Amino acid sequence: MDTSSPAVFVNAELLKMHVGKRVRTVLQVARNEGGVMIGQSTDGQQLTVKGGDPKGSPLSHYVEVIGIADGNQSIRAEICTDFGERFDAVSYNGLCQLANGKYKNLFL
Amino acid sequence: MSSAQYDGGASLFSGGGFMPSQATQTPESGFSKARAAQGILPLTVKQISEAYDSNDDKSNFVVDGVDATNVKLLGIMMNKIERVTDVSFALDDGTGRINVNRWVNETSDTNEMAIVQNGMYVTIRGSLKGFQGKRQVVAYSVRPVIDFNEVTLHYLECIHVHLDNTRPKVNTVIGTVTPNQNDFKGFQTPLTNPIPGMKFSDNDIQKRVLDVFMEPASLVREQGLHIDEVIRRLDFPPNKIMEAISYHNDLGHIYSTIDDFHFKSAMNG
Repeated sequence: MDTSSPAVFVNAELLKMHVGKRVRTVLQVARNEGGVMIGQSTDGQQLTVKGGDPKGSPLSHYVEVIGIADGNQSIRAEICTDFGERFDAVSYNGLCQLANGKYKNLFL
Repeated sequence: MSSAQYDGGASLFSGGGFMPSQATQTPESGFSKARAAQGILPLTVKQISEAYDSNDDKSNFVVDGVDATNVKLLGIMMNKIERVTDVSFALDDGTGRINVNRWVNETSDTNEMAIVQNGMYVTIRGSLKGFQGKRQVVAYSVRPVIDFNEVTLHYLECIHVHLDNTRPKVNTVIGTVTPNQNDFKGFQTPLTNPIPGMKFSDNDIQKRVLDVFMEPASLVREQGLHIDEVIRRLDFPPNKIMEAISYHNDLGHIYSTIDDFHFKSAMNG
């Protein structure tokens, strides 16, 4: 049992408040540029991910990234999971807000 | 073949559901009995880490005042170790990490555990145990997550069930609701002397009937209300009230209790 390094649910807006910390987010892949993945966050902003899958993630797929927030719009990935093409970004975005707001104590 | 086995697994949870009703919260003596009577609580590892350990010997955990014997967790499988009789691994759900043990007795168990690998998202259902001061889950089901909307769903379920278990119950509501009851009487008075020729739509009648069942005084009564009591309370034609009761019964808003004349709101206090 270890709750010392949780990954906070974030969208692009919430990411800014967690720079330097472990976060998890979902983005829709727009392009891969030399090991850097660029995609759209669940709240419609652009995010870059370093250190993800070296082969690059399939375009237009939703990918979950767990890693360290190393900038206002960038994450250094530890784990990337392909969530496929059919993923409800709106619900996930709502969950991010709930998990950082009133129900934070269930997560952090 | 495999689907038949999965059905067999599903029957483990039948009648449980996520919301343990108040009736099922009475402590059970035997473990198997408790497992059958309790619902499954969707939880985060963080919630388990804060669960109140009600008894050192029997390892009963309580989350939000509800027995957390059977739990559902979702996360990434890590450090899977396969042995002859069991498979152990750590489950990381982003809020924390917990050890999980799955006993492997049948070939179907072995097959189930062969599918899931490190790094995969899995849903586990099992019993929460305290062992030598450590909390762990003895799983009876470990399944890979196929549709990743399930990830979002799981955490929303955790929030939903937490909210439901922590909201004020009927007994505490009675005091605070009193002003509304006066309001109710306020608009009820004209009903006892209906203005001649004034018509109420079926919708109005249905709403008034449900309001009577939803009153805290009606909710606390185990048998609910007799049809005649509702008829006495509302000055509508009895056949209209019967229709409204039948309507709400069909929709599951109310249910019959000791006989066909007593009904109670399905809202669980």
